[in-house]
Amino acid sequence: MADVMHADSSATTKRERKTIPESLFAWLLVGPAMIFIAVIVAWPLAETIRLSFMEAGLGGEKFIGLENYQDLAESRKFHQTIVRTFYWMFLSVGLKLVLGLIGATLLNAAIPGRALFRVLVMPPWVIPIAIGCIGWLWLYNGYFGVLSGVMMHLGITDAPFEFLAQKQSAFYSAIATDVWVGVPMVTLFFLAAMQGVSRDLYEAAWVDGAGRWYRFRRITIPQIMPVIVSMSLLSAIFTFNSFEIIWILTEGGPRGATTTLIVDTYKTAIGNYKFGEGSARAVIIVLLLGLFSLAYLFFLNKVNKKYGVK
Amino acid sequence: MATLDLNAISKSFGSAKVLHDISLAIKDKEFVVFVGPSGCGKSTLLRIIAGLEEASSGQIVIGGDDVSDAHPVDRGISMVFQSYALYPHLSVYENIAFPLRVQKMDAAEMDSRVQKAAAILQLTDKLQLKPGQLSGGQRQRVAIGRSIVRNPKVFLFDEPLSNLDAALRGDMRVELSQLHRDLDATMVYVTHDQVEAMTMADRIVVLNGGRVEQFGSPMELYHHPATKFVASFIGQPNMNLIPATVIGADATGVSVELDGGHRMALPVAAGTVKAGDKVEVGIRPEHVEVSSKGLEISVNVLERLGGVSITYGVIGDGTRFCASLPGDAVIEEGRNLTLSVAPENCHVFDANGDVLRRQAAPEMVA
Repeated sequence: MADVMHADSSATTKRERKTIPESLFAWLLVGPAMIFIAVIVAWPLAETIRLSFMEAGLGGEKFIGLENYQDLAESRKFHQTIVRTFYWMFLSVGLKLVLGLIGATLLNAAIPGRALFRVLVMPPWVIPIAIGCIGWLWLYNGYFGVLSGVMMHLGITDAPFEFLAQKQSAFYSAIATDVWVGVPMVTLFFLAAMQGVSRDLYEAAWVDGAGRWYRFRRITIPQIMPVIVSMSLLSAIFTFNSFEIIWILTEGGPRGATTTLIVDTYKTAIGNYKFGEGSARAVIIVLLLGLFSLAYLFFLNKVNKKYGVK
Repeated sequence: MATLDLNAISKSFGSAKVLHDISLAIKDKEFVVFVGPSGCGKSTLLRIIAGLEEASSGQIVIGGDDVSDAHPVDRGISMVFQSYALYPHLSVYENIAFPLRVQKMDAAEMDSRVQKAAAILQLTDKLQLKPGQLSGGQRQRVAIGRSIVRNPKVFLFDEPLSNLDAALRGDMRVELSQLHRDLDATMVYVTHDQVEAMTMADRIVVLNGGRVEQFGSPMELYHHPATKFVASFIGQPNMNLIPATVIGADATGVSVELDGGHRMALPVAAGTVKAGDKVEVGIRPEHVEVSSKGLEISVNVLERLGGVSITYGVIGDGTRFCASLPGDAVIEEGRNLTLSVAPENCHVFDANGDVLRRQAAPEMVA
């Protein structure tokens, strides 16, 4: 009797399992996440694309086709903004990578107080950007700032130097702040990657007579290359989209010297209530970052193959 | 190739002393294996020879030159690591050529050396592959290839086979022995596997707690272990050690009573032991046979391996005993079995664990 009951219950279980197809179960699992993404990503993106074909403002919307894009294509100022944005991005990312690599190498070295330095590298990343930027505003201030004071003390300038008032110095000052904020993350990722490199590789190379620089060049860099590539892309995207730092320091000024695509988009859409034109700019940003990501995936794949990462 | 002399090498990590005055004289072209349990200091000793660790005191002499303070590359050694330490981003060719590139060797000479090493290790058709595309055994060969191309005076191997499966380990053991013959090189090999030590070594250094327990040929260690530790470490299955009490000692040997009441007269040098002293009698599992008279064991577990039957049981008051008997021996778990052992095959260890040197064949006393 017990056997019969057992057989029945087993059959029931089998029937129940058949009633929930595997594909439906999978959809149920990913469903909530998909709904979430649809609400906060897909819908706003679709709305942005729709608005980019409109002349949209506080007064209403009117379909104008590709006119917004046409205007941007013909705008010399927009071209300058794109060039400036890429210059901003490459310079900032380049500095972050170089400084991150140097920092990670130092933090990975067996130096006394290494643990303390590892903690000290964190604050720029941990402090809210707005607070950090206010600190930098003070540093850059011509009359009260340390930098200007030191420069005057050293005789580099004979009058207070307002870093954020000049076109060039404002641009490079904003980059310095952006690098300050971005370096800790890059450093810590590089450090984690370096710590994942087997000690045996270095010891084997040392036994073979390889010096410190040779080991860094021929072992460390190739071994962490996938992380360098990943961080390059992530950092490039963050820097391309970096808004708060520029906005707090200069609001894109003086005379547009620090206006990058993202700041330009914000000013157009939110500052000037030209939602259609702003959306067209946003769509262009999405396309550029999309192309960037594709190039990254292609490059990462090649790097992984080259450096033996499965 | 060269001799390798270690003179009173000690090593401490903070207050913990891990090597105690180790002195060894390794001959030219000799294959010496350092063997011992985890933490005995064998790898540390190898790393000191390589120059990867600094000895707290002592001297390392390779080929007559004191290299105690020399950089690893100037010691004339090369090392094969347990993890192989292959560069995953470099091809097999570049991995083997790595030490030569560091030396900025002429391209033609480098190619010739790499090709020669690859030919010896049957890697010629794998030179363009990455380490990730190779099997464990092939990776190990690449690591050996990288050490060969430098033409070192002494090869150092740090547990090179421990990452391989049992079958491959057996194959690689044979290959390494063959390689030693082909290269006619001085080799120092670290392992915790006594089978590797016994099968490959010209001489074995048994280390325990940072001290050399014994340095000798494999058969010397097997037949004349200097200490209880060596006796129990060398030989598979492990030697049985049965507590006993000396009931008599003279020039002919020592008579003992095993815990459980069994008496034996054993032809060993009595040394300082006297009646009433506690000793341990060592009997190798392969030296016993089924008999009508002798040591009675109660069989707990039987492992039939085909050629032999490994029989586990207890004797007397519960001392565990293992016997390696013929494959078709009539044995049953849960039954008693009577075993005999030739007295000349027995070992006796005093209370300090030191052996009483075996002399002649004793007889078993009922």
